[in-house]
Amino acid sequence: MQTYKAPLRDMKFVLHELMNEAPLPGHEEFTPELVDSILEEAGKFCAEQLLPLNASGDLEGCAIENGVVRTPAGFKAAYDAFNEGGWGGLEAAPEFGGQGAPATLAKLVEEMICATNISFGMYPGLTQGAVRALEIHGTEAQKALYLPKMISGQWSGTMCLTEPHCGTDLGLVRTKAVAQADGSYRITGAKIFISAGEHDLSENIIHLVLARAPDAPPGIKGISLFVVPKLLPDAAGEAGAGNGVSCAAIEHKLGIKASSTCQMNFDDAQGWLVGQLNRGMQAMFVMMNAARLGVATQGLGIAEAAYQGAVLYAKERLQGRALSGAKYPEKAADPIIVHPDVRRMLLTMRAYVEGSRALGMWVARRLDEANHERDEAKKAEAEEFVALLTPVVKAFFTDAGFECASLAVQVYGGHGYIRDHGMEQLLRDARIAMIYEGTNGVQALDLVGRKMPANFGRGLRRFFHPVAAFIEENKGHPVLGRAVGGFGKAFGALQLATFFIAEKALADAEEAGAAATDYLRLFGLVALGFMWLKMMKLALEKLPDAGVDAPFYQAKLSTGRFYLERMLPQVGALLAVIKAGKGALMELPEELF
Amino acid sequence: MAMFNKIAVIGAGTMGAQIAAHCANAGAEVLLLDIVPPGAANRNALAEGALAKLRKTEPAAFMSDDAGKRVSVGNIEDDLWKLAESDWIVEAIIERLDLKQALYGKIDAVMKEGAVVSSNTSTIPLSALTAGVSERFRRGFCITHFFNPPRYMRLLELVSAPETDKARVDDLARFIDVRLGKSVVRAKDSPGFIANRLGVYWLQGAVVEAAKAGLDVEVADALIGRPFGIPKTGVFGLVDLVGLDLMPHINASLAATLPADDAFHALNVKLPVIERMIAGGYTGRKGKGGFYARGADKSRVAIDLISGEYRPVRKPDVAEAKARDLKVIFEGTTPEARYGATVMGRTLAYAASLIPTAAERITDIDEAMKLGYNWAKGPFELIDQLGAGWFAGWLERQGMTVPPVLEAARGKRFYEVRDGRLLALHEGALTPVTRPDGVLLLADIKRAQKPLLKNASAALWDIGDGVECFEFTSKSNSLDLAIMELLGQAIARRPKALVIHNEGRNFSVGANLGLALLAANVAAWSEIETLIKTGQETYKALKYAPFPVVAAPSGMALGGGCEILLHADAIQAHAELYAGLVEAGVGLIPGWGGCKEMLARFGAHKRLPRGPMPGPVKVFEMISTAYVSKSAAQAQAALILREGDEVTMNRDRLLFDAKQKALALAENYTPPEPPKFRLPGEAGAAAFGLAVRDFHAKGMATEYDVVVAGELGTILSGGTADPTEEVDEDFVLALERAGFMRLVKREGTLARVEHMLTAGKPLRN
Repeated sequence: MQTYKAPLRDMKFVLHELMNEAPLPGHEEFTPELVDSILEEAGKFCAEQLLPLNASGDLEGCAIENGVVRTPAGFKAAYDAFNEGGWGGLEAAPEFGGQGAPATLAKLVEEMICATNISFGMYPGLTQGAVRALEIHGTEAQKALYLPKMISGQWSGTMCLTEPHCGTDLGLVRTKAVAQADGSYRITGAKIFISAGEHDLSENIIHLVLARAPDAPPGIKGISLFVVPKLLPDAAGEAGAGNGVSCAAIEHKLGIKASSTCQMNFDDAQGWLVGQLNRGMQAMFVMMNAARLGVATQGLGIAEAAYQGAVLYAKERLQGRALSGAKYPEKAADPIIVHPDVRRMLLTMRAYVEGSRALGMWVARRLDEANHERDEAKKAEAEEFVALLTPVVKAFFTDAGFECASLAVQVYGGHGYIRDHGMEQLLRDARIAMIYEGTNGVQALDLVGRKMPANFGRGLRRFFHPVAAFIEENKGHPVLGRAVGGFGKAFGALQLATFFIAEKALADAEEAGAAATDYLRLFGLVALGFMWLKMMKLALEKLPDAGVDAPFYQAKLSTGRFYLERMLPQVGALLAVIKAGKGALMELPEELF
Repeated sequence: MAMFNKIAVIGAGTMGAQIAAHCANAGAEVLLLDIVPPGAANRNALAEGALAKLRKTEPAAFMSDDAGKRVSVGNIEDDLWKLAESDWIVEAIIERLDLKQALYGKIDAVMKEGAVVSSNTSTIPLSALTAGVSERFRRGFCITHFFNPPRYMRLLELVSAPETDKARVDDLARFIDVRLGKSVVRAKDSPGFIANRLGVYWLQGAVVEAAKAGLDVEVADALIGRPFGIPKTGVFGLVDLVGLDLMPHINASLAATLPADDAFHALNVKLPVIERMIAGGYTGRKGKGGFYARGADKSRVAIDLISGEYRPVRKPDVAEAKARDLKVIFEGTTPEARYGATVMGRTLAYAASLIPTAAERITDIDEAMKLGYNWAKGPFELIDQLGAGWFAGWLERQGMTVPPVLEAARGKRFYEVRDGRLLALHEGALTPVTRPDGVLLLADIKRAQKPLLKNASAALWDIGDGVECFEFTSKSNSLDLAIMELLGQAIARRPKALVIHNEGRNFSVGANLGLALLAANVAAWSEIETLIKTGQETYKALKYAPFPVVAAPSGMALGGGCEILLHADAIQAHAELYAGLVEAGVGLIPGWGGCKEMLARFGAHKRLPRGPMPGPVKVFEMISTAYVSKSAAQAQAALILREGDEVTMNRDRLLFDAKQKALALAENYTPPEPPKFRLPGEAGAAAFGLAVRDFHAKGMATEYDVVVAGELGTILSGGTADPTEEVDEDFVLALERAGFMRLVKREGTLARVEHMLTAGKPLRN
């Protein structure tokens, strides 16, 4: 049995105490009181409506019959309730029926959804990505036609990128789009791995499809984006006649089994261009970047769920005695939480979760600034920050999600490996997040190959400068001074690695490729270390007057200490690996593999 | 050396006027004459107008205001008699044989015995020019073919006849070499001489083939440019510069004089697209634009050679243009590769066919193309890159004739290094490449020995007689920590004397900004501070080293590259020295002792009023405006060069001259006395602040200029210094460091640095 209680205290801490930023233009009505009540409602909804469907959905999975996909029992009702509550349009533009909430709030709600039922979250999640792309690149008519229904959940959305022969390299897309006299296009081709491509939750499904016009230039510069509805809207804008869109099969997967992953066929389907011809990748990137942050949140959500499950078990499972002698002599055995190694696992999870949540909020806040800030310079800086951190959080959070799920299985021992407690499901569900929306290897390449060198490293400044300033400001902190000094060394390792890669990569792109994954992890560890120090500093300030909250801040200090002393030092090994260069990686001839 | 102190230039057109200016740059008294314009009230109007224009020419024709004063003007009728005083008379009138011959007759009548007369003709053979002139005139006559612009182009082709007085021409050649700073290439009396004969063949072929293949001009320039070490203007960019309308004239004149079997004739076809462009006024940069132009919205456009329509410039994406091995182009099968191979293959073959009719030696042709067309490698060096035998085989496979010189080189190389000496193939045998007396090239030294010290960014060489030469080897000779480290080691060796010199296009463009920006972006403040401190300490160690240090810069010496000059005991500068402390342009201040050294220089300046303020004011003006000299003469006026520093006109002679200077200084050398400073303190900083805000209010300084100038003002005023007390060098250096570190952390500075790196020019934020 999985359990979940939304970590509201920590969420409020990060949002109101750690970030504590003034609302941006357009977000004024989202007062702390309103935000808190939304979080509470969301927590309740997720625990009551989504969590109970998680295990059953996994067990039942999706089914296809004559091209019709059936989601597991209870999903339709939950989907309706979800839309009833307006959760699908939380972040969407108010002019189309959304609530216009800041990303900071929306990401926390997303985390809850992912923690309780990641499969369910796929359906509205994909819709939100499509909504975002249409908001930015769609024509007014397209927006008016699609957005209100998609935001309300009446219609849902997808992203159709992958084809049988192309995943990461979208320049190879073959799906054809032939212009028609009426301005529409006829789309023909096969797409695979389409999440929510076909299902029984919504009245209509709006596909955003990457395709190539017949005379388009080869490669990535000849890809265009089209909106292709499953059912063509009629004159009144309601779902009407069928279009040439069909689902040929659904995939049988390791995890997220309640999410329908479809093979889609487009057979002379009518579609309309979104954005400019041959500029589809730019439009798609909007969705992809949003989706990458969404996937990062999946990693965080799973990690939280894993932590909660593991703590529950570690406190109630009685087995053996503490190494220092019985802690609970009245009981038949001590709970396993008395063991250092079990505590190691629990604290690792907790440090990942709370550190990632804080880092995720920093990114979300900057994302809000990128979208709502009026000062152009600040807006640009925020965009640069988000661009830099997107690959870091996508890969780091999802790696952490899988690691935490695995630790949770370990804490449960044999009971984690069987279905009853839901830990093995978390492990299976977590695995996909490291793969889709750009594998974590691709994220690492994006970081070292694109984000790092862009504008001679201007984006780096948005992260490194505030961190350096914090170190400078706090190295003499009476309590944390030493910790700050230690963190400064880790930060130095990141600076050194950045320099090393920047210099090496100039001469040899393979060197950057060889260092990429380790560099991204090093970056993530330092970023989390920064968040932990900031949280610890704040906790120290709050503790004297904390009253009943004192244990919360005390826990922050202990967990932060664990992170800084027992997790952050990994950076030393990573730096050594990075500096070893590509030699050992590239030495073995291909034929000897 | 025979001196040519009085020089007359007849013909005040662009070339004549600029030749006159350059002779004045060399210190000669110059008389510039032209005809009397029909019906003119001012009989000197033409030459006077030319002189006025010369003073405004960009890039500057004169190296100094003084040089401008050495040119006097007149007309060929009233002032003909003055030619009797001239040691050298340069004829640079219109390319008409009858007019030239008539003029020679007049000159012959007045010129003094032993004078030299030369023509700047680029098209008329010497034999034709001297037909019908006196025997006496002929003995003192030759062709001196300057390249445009004469001050800056290092090539001069010299053509003489068997009857020319050899001693007199040799004297002139030496004068042109040493005083005018040109590399003199002896050419045969054949049409177009060497550089233009080959250059025009190359350009014409490249244009015709591109039109035939329907290639984008960008693609053609990308293929012909970088892979072959040719300036990235490539072909079409260069024709735009020369002028499209000139090309038919040049082609016609060459075609008229070249033998009937010359390969040029086959390429000399008229292209409708070009004729239309010329007719429409699209004659190149001087006209409405050429192959490249600006569209109505100022965006860059390029012409489509097929349709003749302009379209937005496209970034060429040609795989072959990125290949390191030229064979990739020659063996390529794409239309682009075929184009590059055809154009350059024919050009290289043509170059080989010019020996011995146009040039005696392969070195003459290579030198001519390198100095006259700015090719990084000469044709024979390029052939060596392919392999002479391989290239001959390639020509055969194309059904082209293999010129005898190339035939003779099969299985050999045109150039080879043996026992550290450079040899060139001449008449089938490898013979040493000799340098004139007084020429010492680092390139030759590097062939013959291993460096005394070396790291990734610098090297130290033994240049003989106990003198060592410190060379920057980094990209653009930018300065970094590795250079400072090696310089420190070089100082510790305590040679008899040290010369700081390199043969790069520029002495140094300053600190490595890319590295600095990356360091700043990742907030590596302590590393940056270390770099500043190490630089200060190293330069200081250089200054007080127990041996003399002579800096021998050529081209740009900017920022840190200028600061190292300021710490040398003496500077032996190439005449083309563009030196300055340009840090303000990237939102910084000189941090390697530049502020300190300029304060010391102006502090020691005798003509400045007394008191603590006048010196800092001068330095402030110089650094806040990022002043850069446009010649060594200007650098002298700006006190970057001091009394006793000297100027070398010919770049190839710079190292030799610097070495001689270093040896002279090494006699009884004592290191300089450290300067003391009396600085105005806070009141001075306030005055600077006021002045800058005033400039800002008037729109002459940007918002961020105020920030940068504020820091500069503080340093130059001595911070909190007491104007009644002396402070030492370390005091000023500490101020430099602090100011630099404050600025480098600011968004405004980093935006300037980034803009400089991406756009190549200062950001005015």
